[in-house]
Amino acid sequence: MLLEKFKDEVEEILSRYPVKRSALLPLLNLAQREEGFVSEPAMRDIAKVLELTPPQVFETVTFYTMFNLKPIGKFHLQVCKSLMCALVRSDDVVTWISKKLNIVPGQTTADNNFTLSVVECLGSCGTGPMMQVNDDYYEQLTEEKVVRVLDDLARDGNCHLKSGPFMFPTTSGKSR
Amino acid sequence: MPTPSTTTETVTLTIDGQTATVPKGTLVIEAARQVGVMVPHFCYHPKLTPDANCRMCLVEIEKMPRLQTSCSTQATEGMVVKSSSSVQAQEARKMVLDFILANHPLDCPVCDQGGRCDLQDFSHEYTATSSRFQELKRVFPKEYFSPLIETQMNRCVQCMRCVRYCDQIMDVKALAPTGRGTLTEIKAFGAHELDCEFCGGCVQICPVGAITSRLSMYEFRPWMLKRTDSVCGYCGDGCQITFQTKDNALIEINSTQGSGRNNGDLCARGYFGYHVSEHPDRLTLPLIRKGDEFQSVQWEEALELVGQQLLDVKAKYGADAIGGLISGRCTNEDIYVFQKFMRGVVGTNRIDSSARYGHLNGVHALQRVQGTHRWSVSFEDIESADTLLLVGTNITETNPITGLKVKEAVKRRGAKLITIEALNPAIGSISNIVNLAQQHLGVKPTGFSTAILGLLKAVVEQSILDAELQGKAPAYFNAISARLQALSWDAIFAQTGLASDLFTEAAQVFGQGKKVVVLVGPGVLRSEGGFGMTMNLMDLLLITGKLTNPGCGLAPLAEENNDQGAFEMGGTGAVLPGGTSLGDPAVRENLSKAWGRPIPDTPGSSLPQLIEDAQQGKLKALFVVGENPLASLPPSSGIHSALEKLDFLVCQELFLTETAQKAHVVLPACSYAEKDGTFTNTEGHIQSVRTAIDMVGESRPDWEIFSALSVMMNNPMEYGDVKEIGKEIRNLLPGTRTLGPAPLPAQPDSSAIARYVTTDYQRDIAPRYQLPVNDAATDEITLQVSQSLFHSGKFSRKAKGLLQVEATGKIYLHPEEAARRGISDGDMVKVSNSLGEVLTPVGLRERIPQGVATFPEHFDEEIRQLLPYKVDPETQVPYYKLARVHLKKVVGS
Amino acid sequence: MGSMNLKEWVKTLTFYELLLGMKATLSHLLKYKPITLQYPHEKKQLPSNYRGMLALLRYDDGTEKCVGCDLCEAACPSRVIRVVSAEVPEEPAKRYSKEYYMDMTRCLFCGLCVKACPVDALGMTQEYEWAVYDKRQLHLNKQQLLAIGDRNFPVREKRLEFQHPNVAYFNVGFKEIPQKDVE
Repeated sequence: MLLEKFKDEVEEILSRYPVKRSALLPLLNLAQREEGFVSEPAMRDIAKVLELTPPQVFETVTFYTMFNLKPIGKFHLQVCKSLMCALVRSDDVVTWISKKLNIVPGQTTADNNFTLSVVECLGSCGTGPMMQVNDDYYEQLTEEKVVRVLDDLARDGNCHLKSGPFMFPTTSGKSR
Repeated sequence: MPTPSTTTETVTLTIDGQTATVPKGTLVIEAARQVGVMVPHFCYHPKLTPDANCRMCLVEIEKMPRLQTSCSTQATEGMVVKSSSSVQAQEARKMVLDFILANHPLDCPVCDQGGRCDLQDFSHEYTATSSRFQELKRVFPKEYFSPLIETQMNRCVQCMRCVRYCDQIMDVKALAPTGRGTLTEIKAFGAHELDCEFCGGCVQICPVGAITSRLSMYEFRPWMLKRTDSVCGYCGDGCQITFQTKDNALIEINSTQGSGRNNGDLCARGYFGYHVSEHPDRLTLPLIRKGDEFQSVQWEEALELVGQQLLDVKAKYGADAIGGLISGRCTNEDIYVFQKFMRGVVGTNRIDSSARYGHLNGVHALQRVQGTHRWSVSFEDIESADTLLLVGTNITETNPITGLKVKEAVKRRGAKLITIEALNPAIGSISNIVNLAQQHLGVKPTGFSTAILGLLKAVVEQSILDAELQGKAPAYFNAISARLQALSWDAIFAQTGLASDLFTEAAQVFGQGKKVVVLVGPGVLRSEGGFGMTMNLMDLLLITGKLTNPGCGLAPLAEENNDQGAFEMGGTGAVLPGGTSLGDPAVRENLSKAWGRPIPDTPGSSLPQLIEDAQQGKLKALFVVGENPLASLPPSSGIHSALEKLDFLVCQELFLTETAQKAHVVLPACSYAEKDGTFTNTEGHIQSVRTAIDMVGESRPDWEIFSALSVMMNNPMEYGDVKEIGKEIRNLLPGTRTLGPAPLPAQPDSSAIARYVTTDYQRDIAPRYQLPVNDAATDEITLQVSQSLFHSGKFSRKAKGLLQVEATGKIYLHPEEAARRGISDGDMVKVSNSLGEVLTPVGLRERIPQGVATFPEHFDEEIRQLLPYKVDPETQVPYYKLARVHLKKVVGS
Repeated sequence: MGSMNLKEWVKTLTFYELLLGMKATLSHLLKYKPITLQYPHEKKQLPSNYRGMLALLRYDDGTEKCVGCDLCEAACPSRVIRVVSAEVPEEPAKRYSKEYYMDMTRCLFCGLCVKACPVDALGMTQEYEWAVYDKRQLHLNKQQLLAIGDRNFPVREKRLEFQHPNVAYFNVGFKEIPQKDVE
């Protein structure tokens, strides 16, 4: 299914590596991009293409926290829990989100809008506490900011507070 | 494990003050073991590549910075290693244990590994009585894992031995270490239950109680168990097994690493199939037919009746009105005494054994060409071969442990593998040998003969020929090449779907081999023309000059554990003990002198002949020992009417089988767990079987029953115990004196080869070098009734463990084949041909070629009515495993 | 004979040796204090660590403590105990003793089984009146042993809440192991 749909792309990926197995991560990325998570049929398909057993693909998916094994909501809230953010109370960010959305890390809201996860360092240590929502960064979070981001996202599907990946504070103190 | 180099180069090192001299490349941990220094370890195992993940085996090595893991460090000259004498290493191990125990639950009292657990032992040794960790331990939610294997992941020390074993040794790759860090958990695929070969290797190799056997769960503590070393009674591999018994009950089976022909590896049948002996249906008293009912009687009455009836039949119709049939599951001693009883007491040579079902094809081919009735190679030769050719073996399912030797040769030692198999290279839940093949010639089960001829043609066309032999026997070479040239590549392509260049490549790989072993399996030996195909493979070895090279040879795989022994002990009518011919008066005279009783000079007969004679009323009585021809042979063989015509049928059995239900007298016999003796495995190695549990009920070992019967028939043939029989056999047959750790393979006899290449080949070369006639209709499918990995004959259907893996038969198809026919998984289909029609559910398997359907022979009660029956003109082997059938989906299923 | 002096003659005449031998007896004749208990009517006060009849115990919620680990069987020097352990039918992977037998005719009351028990499922009661006419009655099964425990230990140990059926037993931090009495 997946492989038929993206036949050319799969072939391009396979052509990059001398050993078939090396194409595992790019193909998993492809599967996740398509469905939002890596489904069991996708894992079986990938195993077949790469001449692996399904458990071998499964173990790789579970190793990388950025692969999701379950369907996720429209917005994937990934709060950094690594040391730098933890020092500036990333725990509180999780608590605020949990309070606001009534979910704990790993869960999805009933309306399928938000999924909350805690993840390792996202490389934005200077602007912690921070979280990534889908592909966008929201940095220097406060409770008001978090609530506003969540409200905006739920209402408009967008929020102007995002600072984009890898944007550092400018000298004027304003981002972007 | 890097294989220690074969050169004699050694290094000398000091370990804890002791000097050790070991081959270069040996690991420090192994060198230490040799001088008696036990370095504690979890992740290291001699069979597996070093992983060095548990850090338990740290040692101090002089002039090396920091502590080193002894399981991944090779010994070098002058190395000074300190293990238990190093304070630093001891401290480090204590720390490692502290980390492991930070998460390991203290549930030793309820853990089945408690008492034989590495972690327990090392905790005692390093007195880890306190911990720096105060946090609660990691807890994994318990998930259902499999019907036979239990996991308790809280106990896991994450040594990854199970995962590596599953990958490196078994090539199954069914276990996945999911997650990371301390939260790594061994799982199957997602939340699915484990679906694998169920070899039990992960259970055996787990150093703690994380993976345990569900069959024996909580039934024992290790110190209660009595161990009995014996030999597995399923396939011909002859694996060493250790029965672990408690209060006369079989608790579990183990196999010790480093012992036996299997080196501690087992398959599902060996590891989980041991409950047969304890099945409640076991016969405990002799039964005598009274009308339609059976009546339990005492031994005296039953034996007297059998003895009297046999004497009556003999007096009335002559001794040749009595026939005998013995199973290849009996011990050598049983078979020897049986044939002695039949020849010496009853006075007939009309006996046969289950070696007739296919193994005889291989043995007769070996005997005819190279003059031996055993392989000229051993398992070690398979492991060290540089080129392997597998023909019709489906080795994972038929002879899994021989399969492991092939995997070892290919995966570890870089041997080249050529396969001619009715398998697709597809990854499935069990390992598939053709995935490892360098040259795979995939054919239908009917195409082996053509594929072998194609390979021979390529060999001849490439001139990969032995010039020396060609000089000696030009007529033989010319005859073969002339006949091969007459075959066209187009015709070969039409029958196999394989182009000539594939054969050419395979022939080139084959020709380059210095040590070449050809393994032949039931796909060849048990299908039509099996003897001719085996002979052609002998020709292949002969004309390429491989046959006489050391480490080269043909290895036909035996299906039952003692098929080879059944032949060697004279269990097939025309062959006397030792594989000697009945037709030779000198042999007969020697034997009758040794036995002190005459040996009849009437011809022996095979099972198909016995059936035919019974149908014609020439055979009046049949003595069946452990064999179940009604369930083995298809109705088209006429076995039903043959048995009905008999005046007297005796069955000596463990269970009331289909055949026993028709018998006039049923005598209860012992299983292999209850008696002593020897089995001869497929490579001709004789190994001891030992008593693990008491005899069930009033059952008796087979030889004892024959001995008692001979007394009843006033021609006593008495033995005190099984050792006396063994002694008699060893004195009579020089080739049986090879009880020991490894067999000495027989050497090809040059005079036999000379006879074959000068005259003998002419006899049947014409039919052998002809392409079979292929008249299949396009919508027909080839049905192959074949061996499953999880069963062995009908016998293992009494093993509750194996039934949990596979309990019913299904017809298996390739998914695309099924899709083309509009059939999906689980549908009911009508399988039909001119012989009948059968309803059966469908299963899908990618490893089955298109145009082929397979069905496990262990559940063939219904489907065997579709099988046509044909007898080999040369070896009298009955062929009945293949049929052409139509498939039709049953609507509304 | 003839050399016997007067002193010895007097001793002989007054049965001195006899009196000497019965000195203790005679002295008690005067200050009588009964030592013998009139057993069926009177009973002795037993010390608190008295090792009497063995019993199987339960938790406060009535569940059996025994996990069927066989360690008592291994510890027993005179092979009194036989445990047949199995999986709890409704709770997979949970171990219990399906059958539990004690042949009390052999028991030495050494208490090693009690010491060996990792879950304190065995107790020694103060019962000792176990004389029977048929010694087969001393071959006790699990129900009998539990009944002895029930009548002798009315105060039961609280079942720890972290012994969830899905979790292996004893799956606790080191500090939270229930401490056994340290001698």
